Amino acid sequence: MNTSLILHTILGLLLLLIPAGALYFLERKMLPTFLVSVARMVVQLLALCLVVWALIRLDSPWLLLVWLVVIAAYSGWLVLKRCQLAVGTFLPAVGAGLLVGVALCSLWLLALVLPVRVFDARWFVPVTALLTGHAAAMMIRGLNTYVSALKTDEQQYEFLRGNGQSHFKALMPFLRRSLLAVLSPTIANLSGLCLTAMPLLLCGIFLGGMTPINAFVLMLHMTVGCVAASVLALALAIWLADRQLFDKFGKLQ
Amino acid sequence: MLEVKDATITVGGQVLAVGLSFMARDGELTCITGPEGSGKTSLLRTLMGFLPVGSGYVSVDGELLTVKSSQAFRRMMAYLPQQMEQLRHQLEPPEAPTSKADDYAVWGGGLSLKPVSETIAAPLSPEEILRLAAETLRQSADKQIIIADEPAARLSSEQTMQMLDLFRQQAEAGKTVLIASRKPQIVAEAQQVINL
Repeated sequence: MNTSLILHTILGLLLLLIPAGALYFLERKMLPTFLVSVARMVVQLLALCLVVWALIRLDSPWLLLVWLVVIAAYSGWLVLKRCQLAVGTFLPAVGAGLLVGVALCSLWLLALVLPVRVFDARWFVPVTALLTGHAAAMMIRGLNTYVSALKTDEQQYEFLRGNGQSHFKALMPFLRRSLLAVLSPTIANLSGLCLTAMPLLLCGIFLGGMTPINAFVLMLHMTVGCVAASVLALALAIWLADRQLFDKFGKLQ
Repeated sequence: MLEVKDATITVGGQVLAVGLSFMARDGELTCITGPEGSGKTSLLRTLMGFLPVGSGYVSVDGELLTVKSSQAFRRMMAYLPQQMEQLRHQLEPPEAPTSKADDYAVWGGGLSLKPVSETIAAPLSPEEILRLAAETLRQSADKQIIIADEPAARLSSEQTMQMLDLFRQQAEAGKTVLIASRKPQIVAEAQQVINL
């Protein structure tokens, strides 16, 4: 890090004087919370950047696999916290669902679609991070809908089982609701994507030196990959969590 | 024919019935009755393999019913559970959830998303309960055993008679009909009454 970078960082942070000043005059009690949150953001961002920098620098396939396992486990933990499910019981299933779902879709994108060297850290890290982030966000909706539908409509599950349906077939209405919870916001907002969140990411890609048409293709592939990874990770997590959710008599635990 | 021999019904360590034996024959209406908490529902759940038999056995046409084999036996059964009024989503599958623009998704502030909680559906009306029962029995034309748990709990006397008609038709078709109920109308109609 050179002096110029430090100077520019300080200049950038000076912009915080605007919201901090506004809070000072209008809601002084919020000021310490705001400053603590900015400090946490800076530390987290710095730590993440150092990790990614080290990964790209070392460019080791083993380290990249460790990175994938760690982000899958961390995202699984976040999902379970948000869904208020027992972390100790469900983390293996949810973490493994995210890991395998994201790994398979990432491999497909990296090896066949883009195509680049699979364990090239410059590609592997952003692709897996984007897919994991999206899959985890969607899993919060999907898993929560699934579990809460099973709890509120346990009678329906038992009705179907009692009428001779297999465990898997009796779960179909609940899987359908879970899938709809995941896909409905995606379907509803996919068309609005370009106007809202994408410009920021596109700017990043342009800064990386890509042409607009390559950037378009990359964004398209990544969007499709995100949607696919979210459905695959959810399906795997639900499948893996089945033993924790039901006892050997098929009763919801 | 469904046979229960010297069965002990236990739920969560609590013994509900000991040495229970009876035979539910084809073409007959068998009613299991008893006060609330006497184990009627648990007995039906045991007959369907949802609960294990403590001792003794349950058999269907001479074949032993176990928790492992119960799936195969349940294919021969039609089941009307207790609290049928809660089966709204069986009658009408729920609509897809509507999503607002800020619910978003790909590339969005994903992990700030709040989980969606399912809402409890409106209970079925007595007419809808009757409709669902009739529909379930109609779809179970090839099934040999009919099991119903308090099917008339929410029905008027007139509707109870309509429900009984449905069961009578099943028995007349040569099926084994097992009903858990405390309603005197149903108890009076049964060819065999098991008191718990």
